Amino acid sequence: MSGREIALPRGRTVGIAEAGDGPAVVYLHGIADIHGASFGWLPFHEALAERFSLIAPAHPGCAESSEDEELETVDDLVFHYLELFDALGIGTLRLAGSCIGGWIAAEIAVRHPERVERLALIGPTGLFVPGAPIADVFWETHPADGVSFAALRALLFGDAESEVARKMFPDLRGGIDQEVLRYKLFRFASRVGFSPPYLHDRRLAGRLARYRAPALAIQGEDDRLVPRRHGEVYAEGFGDARLEIVPGAGHSAFAERPEAVARLVADFLAAP
Amino acid sequence: MHPVQLFHWHFMAYPYLPPDFDERFDTGWVTVPNSLWDRERTDGLYQEYIDQSVEAAELGFDGLVLNEHHQNIYGLMPSPNIIAAALTQRTERAKLVVLGNLLPLHLNPLRVAEEYAMIDSISGGRLIAGFAVGGGPEAYNYNIPSPQARQRFWEAIDLILRTWTEDGPFEHEGPSYPLRYVNIWPKPRQTPHPTVWIPGALSAETMDHVAKRGFDYFLSSRTHGAATRQARERFAEILGRNGDTYHPFRMGVLLSVYVAETDEQAREEAEEGVWYFLKYCLKGHLRRTGRTLTFGPGVPSQSVRSWRAFLENSEPGAPMLGDAEDWDELESKASIVVGSPATVREKLWDLIEQAEVGNLLIQFHFGNMKDALARKSARLFAEEVAPALRERSADLFARKYPMLADRPAASAAE
Repeated sequence: MSGREIALPRGRTVGIAEAGDGPAVVYLHGIADIHGASFGWLPFHEALAERFSLIAPAHPGCAESSEDEELETVDDLVFHYLELFDALGIGTLRLAGSCIGGWIAAEIAVRHPERVERLALIGPTGLFVPGAPIADVFWETHPADGVSFAALRALLFGDAESEVARKMFPDLRGGIDQEVLRYKLFRFASRVGFSPPYLHDRRLAGRLARYRAPALAIQGEDDRLVPRRHGEVYAEGFGDARLEIVPGAGHSAFAERPEAVARLVADFLAAP
Repeated sequence: MHPVQLFHWHFMAYPYLPPDFDERFDTGWVTVPNSLWDRERTDGLYQEYIDQSVEAAELGFDGLVLNEHHQNIYGLMPSPNIIAAALTQRTERAKLVVLGNLLPLHLNPLRVAEEYAMIDSISGGRLIAGFAVGGGPEAYNYNIPSPQARQRFWEAIDLILRTWTEDGPFEHEGPSYPLRYVNIWPKPRQTPHPTVWIPGALSAETMDHVAKRGFDYFLSSRTHGAATRQARERFAEILGRNGDTYHPFRMGVLLSVYVAETDEQAREEAEEGVWYFLKYCLKGHLRRTGRTLTFGPGVPSQSVRSWRAFLENSEPGAPMLGDAEDWDELESKASIVVGSPATVREKLWDLIEQAEVGNLLIQFHFGNMKDALARKSARLFAEEVAPALRERSADLFARKYPMLADRPAASAAE
């Protein structure tokens, strides 16, 4: 993995992780993910990097990216990423994202469908679906009895006690650097996703039809953060999309079933 | 003479929780189901609490303190301004301290400027205007994004102060509260404006904001000892850096007190209410057991640097005030002072002498404490504790802060 820093207007800097060769894929991260709760690539990313040139920027304030005090809404993020793509010389692109990153990717795609050739979303937040709210991940960051993050893991993973879940969100406290990394992620997520509750944009569902290039939505079958209906609405709303359900996984399907999810994403993004 | 100012703080807890509350619920905040609210037993509850406050004013307390909380059992004042308005009609001299309105929760700070101006006008200039950001539970209650809350908070305060000190109409350009026409009626009674108190939990950042604006600082910690003195020293240093000078009335602290005829009797009478307060009211706030919402990555109001410092200086899963398991452990935390007049006098004097702080904001009612006990404790305090504290503090402050001689006396007790 290599990293570099890109400068943007208003003094912002973006930390980017890069790996692999091949067609470029920009990957926007989520919570149980690189830049969110992991300093480095996960097996899922490594598998993608075998077929693509993978570019993973950290969201503003996360990991090595500078915090943006003016960041308030997901619209601000769309402009942030357009500026980043311009700075990287990326015109059109294959775009992938998970969790919050999937939301941002969808917002970019509906605003600039001409720039996004193919769109892959894994457990994307972003939609308001009446009667099926996205769960409160912020609440679950407060440990039960001051020590247990089991409820947070249960939202983010199918098996709350799996090795990958416990590694990213250990009980009591991880290393201070790891805790700070997570704090940065939630501080970022809180800026754009605490209000309205939580992590969505009411207008997004009505805009999905603007994106008519191929799209793939993936959800773990036991996603307890984002209800299944959200994946269905994404798949029904885009012009040309399908929903894949990954068995034996929860919200962070890419972390729990890396080979299966990487194959789905890579096969989809590689299609002409 | 400038004796210590003694304030009576009523939190107005919900006192009728079932005995199995602790087993059934993991927090007393935000999600504690309001099916527990008893419509019949709560008849007259606010009246009882208001009467306790009024009696404190009659006993010569310098002021009455109220604060804002939402959707919880700890404090039943979503709008402290309503209680303050009631108190304007029942009291004549006591300051009315609203500590404070939680500005990020208000749609428009103009409303706060207007209501505070009303309270100040109705009370003949007795308002002390507190402003607070609101802790973690309040972020959930009103879905306020914590990273932006502080920025909005200081913009709102600056706007409110401008409404009180500048003639309107004028325009406020934002960014959070852009307004074309700012022109409040009424204006507050006090000139240039009511005294402003800002609570903080030791952060130098907040102290700096307070110092820059010439406001007073209120240390909202419930634990006292060396940390209180350090807070005063830090605030004094920050005031100095801003060309200002510390004196004891620039800072206040929160204390919890129960006084009875003897130490034994005090403990016996206080215990039920104190444990109710610690185990129920603090659950979700200052208690490890259950789900503490006050701090954490879910309400990331602190800068990343402050969070790292917090992690480096704290033990994960450390017990908090509400986790005290027995009376001895509670006593060792020096948070709740229970005893005879002599005991309470000595403990409070130690604090005043150590911290050189001139505003003591004292909680007398705990959780489900019976009306008669809360009143008796406040009365014993007023009659047998307060006089000595006033006398000794006036001497101490006059000796250590000679510039106070130029300051008008403010005590309602004089």
